[in-house]
Order: sequence, then structure tokens, then C-alpha cells
Amino acid sequence: MVDPRKVNQVLAALKINPEDQIIFIKENSFADSNFVITHLFKQLVYDKSNICFLTLHNTFDHYQNVGKKLGYDLKQVVEKGQLKIIDPLKELVDAIDLEDSSAQQIIRCLFDCIQTQINNFLISKESLVYLIIDDLSHLLDLGIDVPSVINFTNVCLNLTSDKNVCTIINSHVGSKSDLLVANNIQYVCDVCVSVSPLKTGQSADITGSMLVQRGSQQNKFHYKAFDKGIKTFLPGEALYK
Amino acid sequence: MEKKKGNSIPGSVLSSQNGLLLVSSGLLSLDPLLGDGIPVGTVVLIEEDLRGLHSKVLLKHFLAEGLISKHSIFVASQDVNPSKLVKELPAVIENDVESTDNSIVANDKLRIAFRYENVSTKPMDETKNKAIGHHFDISKNISFSDIENSDIFYWTGQRIETELNNNSFLNPSYHDLLKSIKNRIKDGEFFLKDDREQKTILRIGIHSLGSAMWLPPRKSIHGHSQDLHMFIFCLRALVRSAHAVAVITIPSYLYDEESIERCIHSSDIAMKLQSFSGTELEHNQSLQDYNGFFYLTKLAAINSLASKHPGTAEYVFKLRRKKFNIEVLHLPPDIQDDKDKKPSLMCGGGGNNKLDF
Repeated sequence: MVDPRKVNQVLAALKINPEDQIIFIKENSFADSNFVITHLFKQLVYDKSNICFLTLHNTFDHYQNVGKKLGYDLKQVVEKGQLKIIDPLKELVDAIDLEDSSAQQIIRCLFDCIQTQINNFLISKESLVYLIIDDLSHLLDLGIDVPSVINFTNVCLNLTSDKNVCTIINSHVGSKSDLLVANNIQYVCDVCVSVSPLKTGQSADITGSMLVQRGSQQNKFHYKAFDKGIKTFLPGEALYK
Repeated sequence: MEKKKGNSIPGSVLSSQNGLLLVSSGLLSLDPLLGDGIPVGTVVLIEEDLRGLHSKVLLKHFLAEGLISKHSIFVASQDVNPSKLVKELPAVIENDVESTDNSIVANDKLRIAFRYENVSTKPMDETKNKAIGHHFDISKNISFSDIENSDIFYWTGQRIETELNNNSFLNPSYHDLLKSIKNRIKDGEFFLKDDREQKTILRIGIHSLGSAMWLPPRKSIHGHSQDLHMFIFCLRALVRSAHAVAVITIPSYLYDEESIERCIHSSDIAMKLQSFSGTELEHNQSLQDYNGFFYLTKLAAINSLASKHPGTAEYVFKLRRKKFNIEVLHLPPDIQDDKDKKPSLMCGGGGNNKLDF
């Protein structure tokens, strides 16, 4: 199998290496940054890294279906024990009847879950452990206040003090409180990928823009989403029809 | 959001592209825009027009389609009595009532643009539409026997226990509604994990969520939109774990853009209606055939990388006597005489002309 970083356009644009411990994906207003995570999965599966995945936005079925299109099988990865999924939405459905679920409790439970998973990975195997959070901003929807969310991210990011742990956080930015949370992570991250819609509105040739920031260095790309994959361009480039 | 082997559920179709189970929105002109229908397990958010007239029509079509396809229905509203809403559902008819005018145009021989004679006037999507979805006649109401034979649950927000204080919702009615929906899903065995023999779909219609009638007992404006975010997020969690589809209409003009954007982020499909009545567009000659703009704000890419969003076309809706329709906006050619412009014979036109011929 060929290294996906050389073949895949998105991964070639991102150039994520094991030294990038905190990767932040910022999803601005109506853009959809989900493709960054699904593409990164391809790289992580190829590298045989261990993954702890907190899903708050999409279902596992979605990732499984998209993964098949991109050429990997997440169900197999789960069976091998390399991927652990934490899906709080299932517990949320059960908790609707209960009256006493405070914000602090939710955060504590989530973090305990994450920590035990990551420790399990660290003890048993030598390879890198990735913590992926898909849509951190949904914690705000659950009625958790901004300081608690920031606190939660801090504890998660502190896990990276171990050289073998990396985090990928995806967060949507729509309102002021989202922006507070996002700015906080952007300040400490190694790589920030911000996905935005086109300022001028919609276009048939380009879906949106992706800005990859690494320290002071930044690269801008345009991307077009197809059913089977994503094509990236430098600004000004386009597909020849 | 779940894969099914056989298409055993009536009124639904399995998309071959991404393995989604789709149901019709009730409007045949809307389904192609959404990628042939609404995926089961999703939340659809409709931003209401200023008086909520047209969004109500959309919601009614969604519910009527459910009644015809023998789906179970859950209706909630605090503004109108939900049972009244159900009684006013449009009746199903065999054929498209108002498609006759299209055929007349087709029979007409084109003299100038004769090359376009063989081009069909309908967009391509409409002709290859699949079997789900029906035609409805808004001028007639659904028959009582249809309503009596269906499984309908009404939620009015009347019987709310007030003693829940340590709840995370400020407004107890949101919690009560969420609980009722969950109980309905549980009792009807709609959860994906339930192995029910005859599977059917629960259609949840929530009318005017978060309107003035939903104010919390203690006045807190900030908490109000927070409740809305939490409600939609919890509803999303609930709906995607079951054979259910939810359509909510929200009077979005009561909220600021930011809080609506969060609601849109938590929902899978979002659309917005903007009616012309009461605005300056009402008297615009080129828009006089239509009632308002229709925006498809969000169409999430589920089980796929690319969204099926139709792209850059602008859409309008019109409410006629029997039919509600959504179509692409076509501006008429600008050949009409402008009444304001007076023909002037003089060179330079104005009266204070210094050159006197």
C-alpha cells in the first residue's frame, strides 16, 4: 500500500507528522470540515495508530460509509482494537428522563472515559495514540458554560504532555461563545486548519477554502467536494472540464 | 442513518448512492432539491416566513404525506391546537392539479425560438422522480376516516409538571416535549435496536418552536435561545437512534442570527422561507407570480463527502389555490414599457435646456 500522504491531495496539503501534537480544525459558519477528519483517519489507519474517538456530531455509520469511499474500513479497525468510540449521544437519549444531570457531571464522565481509554492504549502498545473530538462546540449546546468547556479542552490537551499522545479537535464557529472556545485552542495548537465557505457565496467549481496554519507559516487552498473524494487547488487553479 | 436490506417500510425508498433510507417531504417539487427526499434519522429545520403561513403549509404536507404512507405521527404546537392542524391537512389526489398549464405551453408551436421546441419545460429531476411522494390538494381537507385510522399523538404543552427545578432546561415545556417524544418512540418501538416486525416511521412535526408562547416562566432572554439549542441537539440525538424524522419550524426573526446558526448546525437540513408580503418586493413586477424566496441553507453530507446541495440556483415558492410549489426563479425578459419613463422629444430632455432649437 502506498503512503496516503503522497497520493492523497488533502493529506499532502495538510502535511501532518507525529510532531504535530495538537491539531485544531476550525469550521467556520456554513462550511463542512468533516472531510478533514475522515481524511486524517486514512493516514492514521495506514500508520496503525491507536485512536480514541469522541463523536458528538455524526454517527459512526457516517464515518464507516465515508471511510469505505476513501479506502479504509473502520469496522475492521474497531475489531482490531485500534479504535475506541465514545458516543455520548446514546447516553443522552437515556438521560432524557432523568432530571439530575449537571454539566459538571457530563464533563467529568467524558474525561474519565477518555483518560481510561488512552491509558489502556498507552500501556498495551508502543505506537501513537490519537484523541479525536468531533465537534467540541456541541458541548455548549448541552448547556455547559464556556469556562467549563475551555477547562475540558485544557485537560484533554494536557494529555499531550506524553509524547505519544496527539489530539485532533474539530470545533464549529457560529456564535461568540464558539469563537471564545475556538480562539483558546487556536492559541495553543501546533497546526490549525480552518475551513470556510467562500466569502462571495456559492460556486459550482469550488466548495470552500481551507487555510492551514503552522506557526507563522500559512497555506491557503480551495477545495471541491465530490462524492468519492476531495480535490484541492491553490487559489486560482481550477479543474479543466 | 441506518442501512436496511429490503425496502419493507411503506412510503420510503433506499437511496442507492449512500445507503440512506429516504422519505418524501410531501412536496414533489421539494424532494429533488433534498436529494430525492429526507433521510430517516434526521432533523429538518424550517425558518418561518414572517407570518408563518407558508411554513405551516410545508409542515402540513410533511404530515399529510405521513398519514397517506401509514406512518405514525407526532404533532406538537403551543400556538395552535395540534388536532386542528391535523384536521386541516391537505387531501391526497391522483394527479397533479395544476400541471395543465404546462402542457398547453408544450403544445404551442414555437415560432421564433423553434430550436427549443423539443426541449422539455420541466427540469430533468422532476421527470425521473421515484415512486415516493403524492400530489395534494390544499383546497380540500383530509377525510376524517383517514385521521381516525392513523396513529397520531398530539402535544399541546398543557400538562406540564412545574416541580422539576433541578432540570437543565430553564423552560420546562422543552423538557416535557422531549420526554413525550422519547416515550412515543419507546412505546411505538421505533428505536433502531427494537426489532419490530412491521416497521414504520415516526414523523415528528413541531410547529413554531420557541415562539412567544414558549417563553419560560421567569423572564430570561439568554436562557431562551440556550434552551432551543439544547432541545435541537437532544432531539438530534433522539431521532438518529430511531426510525424517525423530525421537521421543526422556528420563527427565526425572534432570535438573533448567531443563535439560529447554532440551531442550523445541530440540524441536518435547514431551509428558510422569506415571503414577499409586507416587504418592498411585494410590488416588484418580475416577482409578482411568486409568494417568496426559498433558501436551502444547509444540506448535510450524510454518509458521503459531498453534499447534494443543488448549488447556485435561486428558488421561489408560490401558493396557489390548490397547490404549493417550489421552483427555480426565472426572471422574465425586461421588455415591458416602464410607465415612469416619459418619452422626451428634446435633445438632452430637461426643461432647463439652454440650447433653444
